Amino acid sequence: MSEALGRVVATERRPNTPHEFHFWTAIDSPVGIGTIVRVDGAHPMDGQIPHIYGIVVEGFSYTDLQSPMHDVMGHDGSPTTAGFAATERAEIRLYTAAVLRQIPEEPLQPVPMGQVFLADEADVQVALRMDSYLREGANTGIPVGVYRAGGTDAVIYLDADFLLGPEAAHLNITGVSGLATKTSAVEWLLASLFKHFPDDKGSIAAVCFNVKGPDLCYLDQPGKVEASDEVLYEKLGVEPQPFESVQYFAPYTAKGLALNTFRNNEALLDNVTPLTWGLREVLQFAEVLLNKDDVDAKADALIDFITQNVVDKEFSDPLLSKKHTVQSFADLDAWFRDVLHGMEQKDGESWRTHHVATIRKVRNRLSNISTRCAGLVTDSGHVSDLPFGSFEDRTVYVVDVANLEEDAQDLIFARIVSKLREHLERRDLGVKHLVVFVDELNKYAPGDGPDTYLRKMLLDIAERGRYLGLVLFSAQQFRSQVHRRVVGNSGTGLFGRMDPDELSTPGYAVLSPATRTKLATLEKGQLMIRHPHFTQPIFVRFPRPSVMQGREGSERYPQASEVSLESAILRALRPLDSTITLPWVQEITALYTEEEVIRARNATLLARPDNVKAYFVSQFRRVIPAQAASRPMAGSIKSAPENDPYGF
Amino acid sequence: MLASTLSPDAASRAALRSLMDRLPGMSPVEGGGSLEPMTSNDPPVLRSAQMVEGNTLRAIRIPALESPPRSEFGAFLDGAQRVQVVGHHFGMPIVFGTASAAVRVRVNRRMITWGHQPPRVERRIFLPLKYLPALSDWRASSGDAEGSQWQIVDTSTADRNGDYPSQHPAVLLERAIRAVDQERETLEDHLAEAWCALGEAPLFIDGGISRSARVASSTCAVGVIKSHRTLYVEGDALRIVLGLEKGERSSVFRVSPRSRSSVLSWYLRLRDPKGRDAMWGLVRVEVAECERPVERADEISGWVLAETTPLSLPDGRWDKMAYGVRDCEEFLRAIS
Repeated sequence: MSEALGRVVATERRPNTPHEFHFWTAIDSPVGIGTIVRVDGAHPMDGQIPHIYGIVVEGFSYTDLQSPMHDVMGHDGSPTTAGFAATERAEIRLYTAAVLRQIPEEPLQPVPMGQVFLADEADVQVALRMDSYLREGANTGIPVGVYRAGGTDAVIYLDADFLLGPEAAHLNITGVSGLATKTSAVEWLLASLFKHFPDDKGSIAAVCFNVKGPDLCYLDQPGKVEASDEVLYEKLGVEPQPFESVQYFAPYTAKGLALNTFRNNEALLDNVTPLTWGLREVLQFAEVLLNKDDVDAKADALIDFITQNVVDKEFSDPLLSKKHTVQSFADLDAWFRDVLHGMEQKDGESWRTHHVATIRKVRNRLSNISTRCAGLVTDSGHVSDLPFGSFEDRTVYVVDVANLEEDAQDLIFARIVSKLREHLERRDLGVKHLVVFVDELNKYAPGDGPDTYLRKMLLDIAERGRYLGLVLFSAQQFRSQVHRRVVGNSGTGLFGRMDPDELSTPGYAVLSPATRTKLATLEKGQLMIRHPHFTQPIFVRFPRPSVMQGREGSERYPQASEVSLESAILRALRPLDSTITLPWVQEITALYTEEEVIRARNATLLARPDNVKAYFVSQFRRVIPAQAASRPMAGSIKSAPENDPYGF
Repeated sequence: MLASTLSPDAASRAALRSLMDRLPGMSPVEGGGSLEPMTSNDPPVLRSAQMVEGNTLRAIRIPALESPPRSEFGAFLDGAQRVQVVGHHFGMPIVFGTASAAVRVRVNRRMITWGHQPPRVERRIFLPLKYLPALSDWRASSGDAEGSQWQIVDTSTADRNGDYPSQHPAVLLERAIRAVDQERETLEDHLAEAWCALGEAPLFIDGGISRSARVASSTCAVGVIKSHRTLYVEGDALRIVLGLEKGERSSVFRVSPRSRSSVLSWYLRLRDPKGRDAMWGLVRVEVAECERPVERADEISGWVLAETTPLSLPDGRWDKMAYGVRDCEEFLRAIS
C-alpha cells in the first residue's frame, strides 16, 4: 500500500461537501493542480470503506504569520537577511479537490475525514469512470493522452461511443495559435482513433479542411519523434508512423496552371487530386455565394428555373435565337445574353414572369461566380471531386482551401459537407463513420454576425450529425466567440494553452482560478480534457504527431511557383506517365490555345487513362497542318530588245 | 496518554456526563474558559546573586555577532496547561486540568516533533472528594473516570500538617491550578532529562533549568526565562540590567535557589527597549556550571539572539519569546 500523501481536513468555515473537500500535505509532496487523489474513509459504510476520488483544483499555502508587517519587523525591513532565520515558519500546503467519484455512490455524503493517497493507474480508471468502457470484450476506449503526477503515468481514454456517437459526439479544441496545440492534437487523436477504433463499430475516415498554413499538408510524411514522445506512443499503444492513406484535394490557381496548395511540389503530387466543379455543382449551392440581398424571392425563383429547366438540358424558346444546351458558365452566359437580347428586341419587360431587372441581377451574380471562385469553378464544366461513395477505411481526405478566397472556401465547405451528409444518410459513402475537421470555427460559425449558410450547416452537423455517423472535430482560438450550439453540442472538449482574456469570459467561470491559471500556462503537448464520463476536467500530455510538421514540410518540399503552361502540363501528367517529357508537351500543345491545353489536361487527370499520352492528344481538335503554298512558276521575263526603249 | 481515539473535547464531554450521572445536583458551567496558571502569592522581589564574571555586574556587548547570526539550538522544549471549571456541586468546584509538554526538533530549519520521546499530555479531574460524599466510592472503585483518559485528583486532601483545606471554592480551585502547574513542570522536566541523557544538541528550554539536577548540570540545556518576578540584581546592578541595550548582556552570576540546583545565569536584551517598558526584550539565561562561563555566555547569547527571528507574533510575549517556543505552544494547543 502506498504511503499517505495527506489528510482530509474540514473546518466550520471551510467544510467539506459531497462535491469538494480539502486536505493538507507535506511541503514537498508531489501534488499540484490537476493531480488525482484518493481518500480512504476511516469508518466503513454498510461494511465498505468509502473511497473518494478527487482532482486538485485549488491550492493554498500560508504560514502562521498573522500580518506581512510582522515579517518586515522581524527582519528590520531588510529582505536580504530574511532567508537567514534559524527556523522557517510553520507552513501549510492546503489543497481543495473536486470530487470525481465516490464509492459507494449512494448515499452521497460529504467527504469524510481520512488519509489521502496519490491515485495510481487503477485509481485513475475508477475515478474517471473509464472502467465502464474499458471492460474486456466491450472496450471502446480511445487513448487521448497520459495523465502524469507524482510518478503515476496513467493512460486517459475517451469513450468512442461518446466521441463518435451515438451516445454523444463531436469534439471541440480551443487554444491560442502558434503553439502547435489544435492541429497537433487533432493529428494525434486521428492517429489514435484509426488505431483503436473498435473493429465491430465499422469503418472510419476523416475529411480535414486545411484552412490555413501547411500544417495538414504532410500527413503522409514521417516527422521527428523525440525519445520522450516514443515513450508516450508506446504507453498509448500507437505506432509513431505517418498516416498510411491520405488523399489531398485542391483547386487550381486562378490561372489554372498549378494546384493552389502548399503541397504542389512535384515530389508530392501523386496523391493530390484537383478539385474542380462545374455549373451544376455550383448552382446547387448558389445560396452560399449570394447574400440575402441578392437572393430575394424573385431571384431565387429564376435560379430555380435555370437549375430545373436550363442546365444540362436542351432549351428552346421563341424568344431565343437558337437552342441552348447549358453545361458551363460560358454556356450560361451565352444563354443570358440571348434571353436579354430577345427581350430587347421585343421591347418586353418580363419573360416567363421574370422581370428583366431580375434576369440582369441573377446573370450578374452568377457569371461573377466563376471569377470569384476561379480555379475551383470551371467554365468547361469539368468535375473533379472527392470520391463520394468510395471512401476508404482509415483514410484521411485533406481538402486544402488555405489559399482560396473566402467565397470559394465557403462553397467548398458547403458542398462537400452536404454531399457527405447525403451519402451518409443513404449509407453509401463507403465508410460508416466520418470525422470532419474544421479549424477557425470563430470565422465559420461565429456566435454573432449574419446567419450564413455555412453556420447553419455546421449547426446542423453539431445537432444531428451523430445520428448519421458524421462527427465534427472543430477548433478555434476563442471558444467564447463560437456559436453556443456548436460548442455546446460537442461532447468532448480539449483545451490547450489559453489566452487570459478568453479565460476571463463567463464560459470559464466554472473552472477554479488555479485551473484557469494552469490553462494559461500549459506547455506544448499538454491538454485539458472535458468528456462526458469525466465529472471534472483532466490534464494530460499527448505525443507530438509523428507526421511532418508544416514548417519542416514547406522547407523540404517548397511550394512550386507559377510556371509556364508546358511545365504545368508536364508536372500534372508526369505522375500518370513518367515517360512524358517537356519537349513532347511543347510539341503537342504548340498549336493550341491555353484554354484548350488546360481543358485537355483536366480531362486527362479526370480520366486517368492507361495511355496518358494518347488520351491527352485526343482531347485536342484536329488541326490540319497548313500546306506549304506551291510557288507558281514564274514566267520568264522577256528581256527588252536593246533597240526598243519602251519595252514593247 | 496521547494515544486516544477520542478527541479531547469528546473525552471531556464523556467524563462530564459520567460525573453528572454520579453527582445529582451538579451544575455544569457552560463555556467555562481556561484559567491562567497561578502566579505566586509572593510579591516581586530583588535578590542578590553571586558574581561569576568580575566583581560587579556590568553591561557587555555580545562580541562580533556572526552574520548571518547562527544558532546551535537543535530543539525547543515547552509545556502548556489548561484549567477549566466545568461545574460545581453546591459551590464545590469541579475542575478539568490538562498539562502537556513537547520537544520540537529543528531539522533543515523546520520544526518537527522529537521522535525519541513523544509529547506528553496528562488530563485530570480535580474534585474535592471530602466535600462530595457521593463520589467517595468512585475513586476507590475505578481510580479514573470510567475508562476515559481522565484521572481523578482529590483537591481536599490534608496537607503535611494534617489540616484539610477549607470549603472555600477559591481555595479548592487554587489547589487544582497549582496541581496542574506542577504536573506541567514534571512533564517538562521528564522530557528535558530525556533529552539531556542523549546529549544530541543544545536544547532551548522555555523557563529555568534548576528544578532538575540532571538538567541543571547538563551542557545541553539552556533555560531562557521571560518573566522577572524575581530579579537577581540590586542597586546599581538593577539599573545596569534595566538599561541594557539590544545585543548586550549582563555579567554572569550564579543563581542558587533554595531546594534547587545552582546554575549560571545572565540577563540579555533581545530587542531595542526604546519607547517600551524596561523589561522589553529582556530575558534571563540559565546554563549549567562550566569552566569558561564568559565564553559560554557570549556564545549562547549569540544563539539566543539568533532565535529572535522569525518573530513569534501574534503572541503578546513576542519580544522575549523564541519562535521555536511558540511552535511548541502551537503544537501543544493542537494536540491537547
